[in-house]
Amino acid sequence: MTELFVVGISWRTAPVAVREKLAFRDEELAGTLQAMTAGLPVAEALLVSTCNRVEVYGVARSGSDATGPVRTFLAARRGLAPTDVADVLYDHRGGAAVRHVFSVASALDSLVLGEAQILGQLKAAYGVAATAGTSGPLLGRCLERAFGVAKRVRTETAIARGAANISTVAVDLAKRVFGNLTGKSVLVIGAGKMSTLAARHLYASGAQRIVVTNRSPEKAEALAAEIDGIARPWAELERLLVEADVVISSTGAREPILTRGLFKRVTKARRWRQLVVIDIAVPRDAEPAIGELDGVYVFDIDDLEKVVAANLAERAKAAEHAARIVEHEAGQFEHWLRTQGVVPTIRALRERFARVAETELQKTLDQLARKDHTPAQQREAVQRLVQLVVNKLLHQPTAALREAPPDEAGMRAEILCQLFDLSPVEAADPTGRAEPGDPGDSGDSGDPGDPGDSDEPPEAQQALDRALAEPAPPERKAAT
Amino acid sequence: MTPVSDRLLSVAPSPAFWVAVFAYTAAAAALLVVLGGHARLRPLAVALVGVAFVAHGTDIGWRGTLHVHPAQSVREALGFLSFIITGGYLLASTRYRLTLGGAAVMPVSLVLLVVARLTPAGTAPEDLSSLGRIHISLATIGVGVFALASALSMIYLIEERALRRKRFDTIAFKDKGAPLEALDRLSHRLIWIGFPIFTAALVLGAIWVSKLGESLDRPEYPLAGVTWIFYAALLVVRQVYGWRGRRAARLTLAGFAAALIVLFLYLVRRMAG
Repeated sequence: MTELFVVGISWRTAPVAVREKLAFRDEELAGTLQAMTAGLPVAEALLVSTCNRVEVYGVARSGSDATGPVRTFLAARRGLAPTDVADVLYDHRGGAAVRHVFSVASALDSLVLGEAQILGQLKAAYGVAATAGTSGPLLGRCLERAFGVAKRVRTETAIARGAANISTVAVDLAKRVFGNLTGKSVLVIGAGKMSTLAARHLYASGAQRIVVTNRSPEKAEALAAEIDGIARPWAELERLLVEADVVISSTGAREPILTRGLFKRVTKARRWRQLVVIDIAVPRDAEPAIGELDGVYVFDIDDLEKVVAANLAERAKAAEHAARIVEHEAGQFEHWLRTQGVVPTIRALRERFARVAETELQKTLDQLARKDHTPAQQREAVQRLVQLVVNKLLHQPTAALREAPPDEAGMRAEILCQLFDLSPVEAADPTGRAEPGDPGDSGDSGDPGDPGDSDEPPEAQQALDRALAEPAPPERKAAT
Repeated sequence: MTPVSDRLLSVAPSPAFWVAVFAYTAAAAALLVVLGGHARLRPLAVALVGVAFVAHGTDIGWRGTLHVHPAQSVREALGFLSFIITGGYLLASTRYRLTLGGAAVMPVSLVLLVVARLTPAGTAPEDLSSLGRIHISLATIGVGVFALASALSMIYLIEERALRRKRFDTIAFKDKGAPLEALDRLSHRLIWIGFPIFTAALVLGAIWVSKLGESLDRPEYPLAGVTWIFYAALLVVRQVYGWRGRRAARLTLAGFAAALIVLFLYLVRRMAG
């Protein structure tokens, strides 16, 4: 049987120093996948390589174990000895592999719980595998389902709710005050990396304009150009503060620049309009006392970190619920997988039966066409046909049951009883019943006890009679 | 046969009243559960508020068919007041997430309704002229609008406090209610609506009292004047001096407290006969 498997390395098992050795560049993915499916017992494969994980999702060829060869292959491909990475690589098979793929897609296995980036990366990796021709029906089905599960987890749980990094928290806090940031203006003081990021987030959330000021005009100009803002001279700071709605401050100043004295004037000039000050400088740019003024809300780096921590704690709580969803979905997928396993058998069984019936039917029809038959003869022919078909179909199972090794006979009989819903109560003396029966009827050893069966012949007989009574005249007409 | 007014004052609450009481209680409980983090129950909670509103309105209408005017006495007016508050909350919650506000407003509506229906009716009122009815109606609507503004101001103060003190683990912060700016603006608008109504009620009330020839030395009258002065001052400082936020919210609550005392005095006087 074919089986899904996962071989990989992630932030959970290895530090970046190890992960980077196993990482693949985007342009290497297709070639690697093709080499894998060509040279290993791997029928389908996908390779996802991000900064936090390198993983192969695949389907092993029938009856073979693929995880060992894939481990060796990954190491060799990166010029490492298999023993170097034996401890950091993990593998999952079957249901565990499905669970793993679903968890990864739902961002339950992400470094930042609920961080949705991985979903996009998985979709991209799936696209690469599809283009390289290494993705197949099973892997495809598994990933499509994984994307569905990820969506479900995102909407039904709080796993992705609450900002998980400082700059989104800054936006979140500003929204607590203003609701909508559309039309609001942002003042960036100083030119730290964090303030750039936060300003970008604010801009993306609808802020109308971004004004940048810095002690050094050149730096202000450079940053303004980078984030589509307007650079203004440092001397205008007080006026800029009056005009702003959100201030992001991250100067390298040793002394606070947003002092209580300055803000008393500023808030009055603003008529106490709400002003959100995000101070991400260390040492701080804003005197804590300005937070007591009407309409001023000051948040320093610690506050932002605290919100991040609280949100992550909420996400961790939601993760339990998310894990239950993944578990349930994985169970359903496994069930689907199992039913997929028997589909070819069902198909073969139906084909065999159809073929036997078709062959015998054709023989009988040919016979009937050769010369005129009385209705009684026709009836007899059809009866024979039905018996023949039943015998032919039952011949092999009966033989298999009779010739089964003693330790297997019981099991086979039991399976047959289950499959055909038999309850062989009188089967205690099967030989006695089998002897007087028609020697040609080789299928009776399991049947005679079945009450359902003994009911059927008369009914079937009647139906047969009816069926024969009607088509008979045209049949004869056609023959003459 | 008892005089009409006597009979009307003792009209028993309709079955709809009990439905309303149940729905208010359930809505308050559901809103608390939503606050506790079960956001998926929010539609249920809002639906319960809707049920309470409809049942409450039905009860008022049912009393109407028995000739009980919603503004014929302070007792009836209280029931009408809580009806207005619930309706206003329902309207506002279609636009903003006001879970915290709802958890505060629903018990208030419930208490007002229960007080209005289950307290002793007292003696029959003086012959109610249409002037008196208009006065009570306007006063009820005016105070109802002020009550909504006050509820918003209260939420503003709670949310602002959580934000200013950086209490990120409190419900006030986690609930992500309506943004501060919107609460402030909405409260301001409501006072703009309520103030002229309340002013008219006050003037009509003064005319009514003088027509009845009663003395003006009851404490309710100057207190009603104080309420009016609070709101007048609030509009002036907001408009002229640009007050907003915390200070304006506190003034709104102070004005409403005065209005509540007036209502309370009326009710006690009526019950005492």
